[in-house]
Amino acid sequence: MVALARKTLLHEWRRFLPAMLAVGFAGLLQLLQIALVLGIFGSTSLYITGSSADVWIGYPGTQSVGQGRSIDADVESRILMDPAVERVEPYLWVDGDWRGPKNTGGVSVFVSGIDTRADGLMFAKALAPELRARLRAPDAVVVDRSELDQLGVASGQTATINGHQVHVVGITTGLRALGGVNVLTSLDTARLLDGDPVDDGPTYLVAKIRNPQQADAVAARLLGSTGFGPYTTWSARDFANRSVRYWLFDTGAGAGVLFLAGIVFLVGAVITSQTLVAAVNGSVREYAMLNALGVGVAALRRVVLEQAFWVGALGLLGAGALGMALMLLARGQDVPVVLTVPAALACIILVLGLAAVSGLAAMRSLRHADPATLLR
Amino acid sequence: MSAANSRAASAPALLATNVSKAFGSGQQHTQVLDRLSLSIDAGELTLISGPSGCGKSTLLAILSGLQKVDSGRVQALGSELGQLDLRALERFRLEHTGFVFQGFNLFPALTALEQVELPLNYMGLQRDEARARARQSLEEVGLTHRSRLRPAALSGGEKQRVAIARALAKNPDLLFADEPTSALDAANGQVIIDILHRIARTHGTTVLCVSHDPRLVMHADRVLAMEDGRILSDRRNPTQPPSVGVTAL
Repeated sequence: MVALARKTLLHEWRRFLPAMLAVGFAGLLQLLQIALVLGIFGSTSLYITGSSADVWIGYPGTQSVGQGRSIDADVESRILMDPAVERVEPYLWVDGDWRGPKNTGGVSVFVSGIDTRADGLMFAKALAPELRARLRAPDAVVVDRSELDQLGVASGQTATINGHQVHVVGITTGLRALGGVNVLTSLDTARLLDGDPVDDGPTYLVAKIRNPQQADAVAARLLGSTGFGPYTTWSARDFANRSVRYWLFDTGAGAGVLFLAGIVFLVGAVITSQTLVAAVNGSVREYAMLNALGVGVAALRRVVLEQAFWVGALGLLGAGALGMALMLLARGQDVPVVLTVPAALACIILVLGLAAVSGLAAMRSLRHADPATLLR
Repeated sequence: MSAANSRAASAPALLATNVSKAFGSGQQHTQVLDRLSLSIDAGELTLISGPSGCGKSTLLAILSGLQKVDSGRVQALGSELGQLDLRALERFRLEHTGFVFQGFNLFPALTALEQVELPLNYMGLQRDEARARARQSLEEVGLTHRSRLRPAALSGGEKQRVAIARALAKNPDLLFADEPTSALDAANGQVIIDILHRIARTHGTTVLCVSHDPRLVMHADRVLAMEDGRILSDRRNPTQPPSVGVTAL
């Protein structure tokens, strides 16, 4: 079979270049947008993804990690009764008001009170063991490097949270928060900082189970008792998704992202389809000739659609290469960018969808390919 | 063998009966064909000539199944074209017809060989067979040595020969040509005329040609003169230069 679509694309690449660029840049914009959103909003589940707990136990209805309320401390014994559970530890979340030594005013901080044992679950993946050990000292806190300026503090200096004095004993990275500043401390220090006398239990209990693959099943099973006051359970993955989803969709940020994605899709599709329409119109006499010779309109449509597919594929290739380079650049500059397989797939589907929609639009131009017009 | 005997033995390749066709609507109504009847025999080169606007191209479009009639009937190779839907008409054209137009309508991206091969692919021929047929067809129009060139590297006459090879490779029963020489100089025009003539002679193809090129008159088996949507004269050329026998249908 003579590869009409591909040969035309190669021979008349200048004619198809605008479409490829439109598809490519639309793809690149979507890719970077998704990577940035995942990077930024992914930090809202950092508490979960940076820890090695498999099951989280918290107040019913909690929509994101930062919105927990305290639960009854006795729930811990209920959780431990389950044979699948290996360990349980409390996690205390305290909203604090930070006053640093420099004149920075009050800074809203999220205090995470964690188990400081060497094998503690919370932030097991995000906090170096040596820094964790330093948190055992009374009033010791660790903050993220990127937020030192905001806090007006340096390592070794003191500040106050909710009126209590704390010492910055270490600086870490990768703990940047959204809408506030993360401060890590021990459970004991966190209890001291908690100004609310009603909150006596932990905000969360996190559990390690013997077989992490069964996290969902164990989380569901642990829900079965109400004798300890209100609580609910999530597998770590569920709770992380829940937190990200909350920020994406309930804060309006996600709506903005979707809106922008829609605009990019629309603009890309308009440019691409116009270019393809022009390409079809440029060859309309040849298509009409084929139709006169008996080649069906359906077969001609397939040629146009195939061209659209190649335009999409080549645009995608360019977007992929450029996107990867830009993401590496962003990583080097501490800009949070994350690309997951589903997100990359979504991008690919979006770009090929864009090409397909444009191809369908261009196919309409084939109605001008009436062989009777070739007669004069 | 007498030509008259072979014609009498076979049904006409094309038969139009009381065909009318008008364009436009309301005030702009133009009657292009007016109750025209015509019978064209198989294996002949028939020329339709006439002033521009006389309806000869419309007649070609109707006889080849590219356009529908307003009234009347058209039979091609025994098929009633008016009863075929769009798809069946495409099918009919794919199996039986070749076209040569004034514009060559070649894909800029394809070589001469690929131009000829492409319609054969759609006919369902195997790749090797399609290529072999395309080569043979190009050889027949004397373009074997140019088969790897794209249209941009071919002269006007060569492009028209590629277009003829493309139509010829399908082994059509019917070959329709619309002003095939009018974009060409004298020498190239003559080459095209010779090829069309040979096709009718050696392949037994029914060639229907619309043209006002006087050179074609010499080579046609039959010349129909049209004016105002009607056939004015129907003249049959003997094998030797033209006689003046006019027969109305």
